[in-house]
Amino acid sequence: MKEQTYEEAMARLEKITAQIESGELDIDHLCDKLKEAQELIKFCKDKLYKTDENIQKILESVAEK
Amino acid sequence: MEEALTLYELNNLVKLKISESFPSEYWMQAELGEVREHSSGHCFVEFVQKNERGNGLVAKARGTIWSNVYRMLKPYFEKETGQSFVAGLKVMVQVTVEFHELYGYSLTVIDIDPTYTVGDMARKRKEILDRLQQDGVLSLNKELDLPRVVQRIAVISSPTAAGYGDFCHQLEHNSQGFVFYIRLFPALMQGEGTEDSIISALNRIYEEQELWDVVVLIRGGGATSDMSCFDSYELASNCAQFPLPMLVGLGHERDETVLDFVAHTSVKTPTAAAVFLIDRIQDFADALDEVMERLSSFSRQRMNEEKMRLQGLSMRLPTRVVQYISDEKLRMQKCENRLKQVSSMKVEKEKYRMMYLGQKLPMALKQLFDREKHRLQMLEQKTESASPERILSRGYSLTLKDGKAVTDATVLKEGDSLVSRFARGQSLSIVKTIKTDSHERTDV
Repeated sequence: MKEQTYEEAMARLEKITAQIESGELDIDHLCDKLKEAQELIKFCKDKLYKTDENIQKILESVAEK
Repeated sequence: MEEALTLYELNNLVKLKISESFPSEYWMQAELGEVREHSSGHCFVEFVQKNERGNGLVAKARGTIWSNVYRMLKPYFEKETGQSFVAGLKVMVQVTVEFHELYGYSLTVIDIDPTYTVGDMARKRKEILDRLQQDGVLSLNKELDLPRVVQRIAVISSPTAAGYGDFCHQLEHNSQGFVFYIRLFPALMQGEGTEDSIISALNRIYEEQELWDVVVLIRGGGATSDMSCFDSYELASNCAQFPLPMLVGLGHERDETVLDFVAHTSVKTPTAAAVFLIDRIQDFADALDEVMERLSSFSRQRMNEEKMRLQGLSMRLPTRVVQYISDEKLRMQKCENRLKQVSSMKVEKEKYRMMYLGQKLPMALKQLFDREKHRLQMLEQKTESASPERILSRGYSLTLKDGKAVTDATVLKEGDSLVSRFARGQSLSIVKTIKTDSHERTDV
């Protein structure tokens, strides 16, 4: 499976924000969208600030060849 | 036979002739075929001139720059050209022509015109750029999308270069704590072989390009260095067509090289390259924060609105409830009334029906009784005509044995005593003979 990219996450976040700010969502959907937005933000922040062991391993294993 | 000259004497003659024939200084254009700095501070060069196709020499001469001249000339040249004084450059130098009995023909450099070199480098660069343009590859790398977040970085540099160390240090110790994945693909970064060495590093990265976000080509800054190797058609063409965005920081301060021109992004130094990458992530992180802020402030506002709405509703609720209850009461009242009306009508109807029935019942009963009475009378008349008394009075008699009527002679035995009953009186008789024939009669 192709991993989600920052670009995709950001595009989704912008869409959600626009949707929420347009005020067309009722309160139940608002909560769902907020939750999704929070997950996307967390996904991005994790990638930015936490070393991904998988990537590390892949890069190291290729380097050893 | 004339007396022969010694070699020295002959060379000395040549020397004299030459100094007579070339008494002044001459400006000369040539390419630096070789440059050797001697520990004494003198610089020994080899001037060459290539043929028009560039693959063979048509002239060659040794040259000397004495240390007292070289000390002044080198910094001047490098400051003006932004390029170190190395082989491969085309230069315009002022020389005197020398001949030495031992060392032979040579040119002594007394001045240099850097603008010629600058012009020549610019021309060469322009030629390369034009050629890349004709190939249609000039802006290919610039057209690639550099991801918003660049974390996986393939570095082409010399492992010993200070610039590489600076770059890594900068990225690994960024104050924001962003994560970077860096791997070095070592290559020569100056001198002969630089071009091939970088191209081969690019090829290694190409093999696993999906692992990387960007290629960073860096080398240490500081002293002016030889940039001419980056003005190479082959290298520039490789970089321009590389499938990953290229970020270059070649550590020079003056004119851009062809590589700076074709790369996706060009910065002055390796440190600047690191800052560029960190800032780029910072922009993304800022954008994330902004989205988060917008989301949370809007949601807060929205929740407040909802709260107010709820409050408004709950305040309006009591009056609405009262209204509702009274509405319901009224509805129930109406129902009750209608029910009453309907039921009383029904009761009236039933009452009337019962009254009607009450009047009709005695008459019906009397009719019933009369009918039954008549039926009984008829039955009485019928049964009277069938009574034993009436039958006996018409001459029939009834024979009894042991008090029971005899209808079959076979039940009798000789000597049985029978009682015969008549309309008036009875007689006792003894059975004498029995004939089972139905026509025979018992003798009495």
